[in-house]
Amino acid sequence: MEMEKKEMGCKSSTPISVTEAFFLHLICALGLALAFWIARYIYSTDLISDPSRTLFLILVVECPIVILLYSRYRTDRHQCSYLKAVARGLLGLPAGVIINAFGAIVLGAPIGAQYFLKTLNWSLVMSSFNIVPSACVFGSSWRDWQRLYAYTKPNGTIDHMICIPAHGAIIGAWFGAWPMPLDWERPWQEWPICVSYGAILGYSIAMVASLVFSHPRGLHHVKRD
Amino acid sequence: MSSSLTCSRLTLFTVAAIAFQIIGLSFFVFGFFPVKPALSGDSGSESFRAPTCYSMGNESERDLPPYELQSLYQELSGIPPLFDRLILMVIDGLPAEFVLGKDERPPIKALMEAMPYTQSLLANGIAKGYHAKAAPPTVTMPRLKAMVSGAIGGFLDVAFNFNTQALLDDNLLGQFSKLGWKMVMCGDETWLKLFPGFFMRHDGVSSFFVKDTVEVDKNVSRHLSYELSKNDWSLLILHYLGLDHVGHTGGRNSPLMAPKLMEMDEVVKMIHAGAIMNPDDKKRTLLVVVSDHGMTENGNHGGSSYEETDSLLLFIGPKSHATDFPSIISNDVNQVDIAPTLALLFGVPIPKNNVGVMIPGVIDSLKDMQQLRALQLNSWQLLRLLQKQVPGFPCGSFPCDGFSGDQGYNSVDIMEKFCRLFLRAAVLHDSWISTELSRSDSREDKSGIIAAYYEFLINANQWLSHKATDKPSTVIVFGVMSMILSFLIFSTAIYSIIQEIYSGEKQLSNGIFTRHLDEGFSLYVIFILVISMGSSSMVEEEQYIWHYLISTLNMLLLRKTVQFFEKESTCSVLTLFSGRERVCIRASSIFTLLITGRILRGWHQGGVNWTHLPDISKWLEQSGTDLQLIQLTAVILTIILSLFSLSVLGRRMKIVLVVGFNFLMSGLLVLYHIVKYQHNASLPSSNAAISLAQIIYATLGVSTVGSVLAVPWIMPIQISKACSSHRNHKSAVSHPFKIGSQSQYPELRYSLYIIGWVYIGSWCLLQSLLQQPVNSVVTLLILMQIFASFLFFSQGMLQQKQWVEVAVLYYIGMAGHFALGNSNSLATVDVAGAFIGISNYSALFSGILMFIITYASPTLLLLSMVMYISIKNQDIAPSSQNVDSGYVLKRILGLPSLVPLTINSILLIAYTIVLILMRNHLFVWSVFSPKYLYACATTVCILIGVFIVATTVTYAYMVLALRKKYERLHE
Repeated sequence: MEMEKKEMGCKSSTPISVTEAFFLHLICALGLALAFWIARYIYSTDLISDPSRTLFLILVVECPIVILLYSRYRTDRHQCSYLKAVARGLLGLPAGVIINAFGAIVLGAPIGAQYFLKTLNWSLVMSSFNIVPSACVFGSSWRDWQRLYAYTKPNGTIDHMICIPAHGAIIGAWFGAWPMPLDWERPWQEWPICVSYGAILGYSIAMVASLVFSHPRGLHHVKRD
Repeated sequence: MSSSLTCSRLTLFTVAAIAFQIIGLSFFVFGFFPVKPALSGDSGSESFRAPTCYSMGNESERDLPPYELQSLYQELSGIPPLFDRLILMVIDGLPAEFVLGKDERPPIKALMEAMPYTQSLLANGIAKGYHAKAAPPTVTMPRLKAMVSGAIGGFLDVAFNFNTQALLDDNLLGQFSKLGWKMVMCGDETWLKLFPGFFMRHDGVSSFFVKDTVEVDKNVSRHLSYELSKNDWSLLILHYLGLDHVGHTGGRNSPLMAPKLMEMDEVVKMIHAGAIMNPDDKKRTLLVVVSDHGMTENGNHGGSSYEETDSLLLFIGPKSHATDFPSIISNDVNQVDIAPTLALLFGVPIPKNNVGVMIPGVIDSLKDMQQLRALQLNSWQLLRLLQKQVPGFPCGSFPCDGFSGDQGYNSVDIMEKFCRLFLRAAVLHDSWISTELSRSDSREDKSGIIAAYYEFLINANQWLSHKATDKPSTVIVFGVMSMILSFLIFSTAIYSIIQEIYSGEKQLSNGIFTRHLDEGFSLYVIFILVISMGSSSMVEEEQYIWHYLISTLNMLLLRKTVQFFEKESTCSVLTLFSGRERVCIRASSIFTLLITGRILRGWHQGGVNWTHLPDISKWLEQSGTDLQLIQLTAVILTIILSLFSLSVLGRRMKIVLVVGFNFLMSGLLVLYHIVKYQHNASLPSSNAAISLAQIIYATLGVSTVGSVLAVPWIMPIQISKACSSHRNHKSAVSHPFKIGSQSQYPELRYSLYIIGWVYIGSWCLLQSLLQQPVNSVVTLLILMQIFASFLFFSQGMLQQKQWVEVAVLYYIGMAGHFALGNSNSLATVDVAGAFIGISNYSALFSGILMFIITYASPTLLLLSMVMYISIKNQDIAPSSQNVDSGYVLKRILGLPSLVPLTINSILLIAYTIVLILMRNHLFVWSVFSPKYLYACATTVCILIGVFIVATTVTYAYMVLALRKKYERLHE
């Protein structure tokens, strides 16, 4: 599957078309589905019974897809080779872990030895949703980062492809935390299960939304597909 | 100027809106909270006759001497009193679980072993034990009232718990005293306040030295042997407070608990051996051991959890009752059932407003006919109460003759149901009486009649208990309308001010989403709060919502700050620290806010459902860390931080030195108090500690009031030339707190800064004295949050809307309120601190102290508004000399006082509507009503805080304007 993607990426030029963006998102979504499938049928576990292992599986499947796919659309392709983009994506992963874990803890994620792995794996997955794609594409270009995350002014298809799913994951996770204090006594109210569900749901919705936003004709394309 | 409000009109509108709010709130509160629908007067001999249409005033009865009245009652009732005298032993706060166990399981072994005598009485069947479910609020006075009158108390009784007044409704003690009983009381002086002049001998102890767990009970027990040897009393009340105090200081599992239970067991043994089993004594004595309420895991009470409502009821008589039906009868009863049971056992009329049901199993030794008669009396009494409460309930000796079977609705339905139940029991009873003589064994019939009576009684009891939620709708609607009107006025005023201030800056904004995310979110916070209040578990866990929202808001502010890294394209760490100081200050203050906020949230695991999870305060207490050291460090850091924030004004000003010195002295006094007294359990309430605390109150009070009054008078007035020369020093801007350099009113801003600082500092010191030791760090963290947000706001390079900043301060205050360990349950009010420095009981002073402790954080944030005004208004520079003073006041004071008022008004209305919608919810009395009481108290806190801020700023402005005018005349 990844090989197919690479071939498709090679044919395109830098300002990517909506169709290409659609396939990119489709593969990301399929990767997520694959991760859940592996967790369920090979390791016979799921997010509720063993959240850290499932999150780790999602990361193992999703992160390479994201890095390999997004590195193709690096903005500074004159100075930066494909391998270099992959490398900075890999560097972006731990940086994103720190940022996401800080955000989660400040917003009230529990601290303690028994939560360490859960928070770590959750932050890894979140990082591969928001920080890693931007790191692959923009590297250390402060201006682009600021445009996407401080101003939220995406400009062009590639910006939409990165910015909207990243925000979707964060906003989804934010809403996902709301059932946690309720006294329903369901197992999924534990950290980080419902937050992960929220993040994945938000990410998926935002991928569709980014296609709709990225081009006036995008709406048409998506509907036809 | 036609559209904009003038200052005086604005003030007028605000005052009118506040008045509407207060009026609406009081109408709503008195309309919504149950005022007991009571029958007036006392039950007399008519209670032994069937209910009739017209009350027959038995005037002659009143003149009867006690012994004749007693024989009259006995003749009419047909039940001979089973006992001659009663010993009522109240053990405050003892959960029934400790004695009877829970769910068919015996209590844990250590507690079993602590009460060997009582347990042996229970095992032999001499004592009968019940779980008597107490109705919330589980605090002492309403529970005592419920026990002796059998009536469900109003919720507002809590509010009067510290202002106990005589119980005027019909009650057992009143009935006993009519019979000429001599009464003796030892223990909690609440009894003396409820029943002034009833007791022949009494020794009241006070319940407010909560840390005293030993003396308070010794003072009761020392009279016991004397009273038991005396033979003149018929009712002896012993009210032991020690166990409640043990709970308040150490929780349920306190190591003092078992010794305390052992002490109580000794008392039971002494009474049982000395009075009940005493063969010399001709009088038959009944010992009733009750507790008024239980306690939570932490030893608090007030709410409606099982742990708090599970109170004990033990009947200990001379002989074993265990013969008849030992196992059929459930031992779960209601606390209100005590009153009718005791009334029937002692042959007095059941109190008029009783809703309780005679406890099954205590009158087994009576003859069958008498048992049925007792149930009949209880049913008649409840029927009378029903007649009063259900409109159109038919009256008469057989009130339900008219009903055959036609279907009706609402009150008719209820009427019909009760009529049917009552008639069935009554008919069965009548037929039983008429055929009684011809029958020899009628046990089956009897149990059928008893079951029929109980069906009526229990249904009536439940309906009457629920009846308390019926509300007069017009009063409530009027109250809500008045509150909404006040909200409309507030919002109109705030809208006009915002319009006026920002009318020139409209064109700056581009794109609502990106620029105004923080503004939108601060409105969204209110919206979320309003929505979440509809869910009972969100009300219980409100602290999570506040923390989550304030952290998110801070993150959005961080995002906004990051937007200002854009100006230089070659951004590196080095340039950030040299040139971009402001951005760095902003970012670091936001990080401070975020991190301190997270620590504050972790400090107390508040709420209801997750209190068992670990938190920092539990960890500190369990790990054996030296709390005193932590407290001292926190207070010293608070003092240093405060002094540092004062020193940025410049050390040359004399006022600063004087004020700082004053503060340091008070701080040293507080430290001395902590070192000497607070961690010394042996002398918690010594005179020296009390007088030292009083000295601290006086010092703080005098220095605060003195500085507020004096600072505007002695603040040196700068001449405008000096001011303009200052303007050239642009470097002054780099200093975060360097203020007054650009303003026309530097002296106003200096004085406000000092006054605001004095408010904050004194309040923090007061809290270090009053709060629990572990909370001193919380005070420090909230202070850090305040200064961090001031730092953030003082970097005025963003087009930050002022109302957002005021709202952020308000939210920080509310988040801090929960970080101090408060919750929406009445159980978390810190009672222990409310008696520091009070030598003799005063409801007023301890109430004020309790309010100060509970609302420490919102009040602190409101008081900090004075300092905020001083930091913020650098650009109030009216060009003309004849500036309108009203304009300036409106600009600097309008938003800081209107925003908290408006937010609070929205929340108050939302809670009001939620409470109305939830009036039939299962948790209305346990969750929503306490929350509403908190909302009312928050309103009071906001009104007081805003009043102080507005008065202070106006005063300082007026004084300075007067002095300027005077100097100008003399130039």
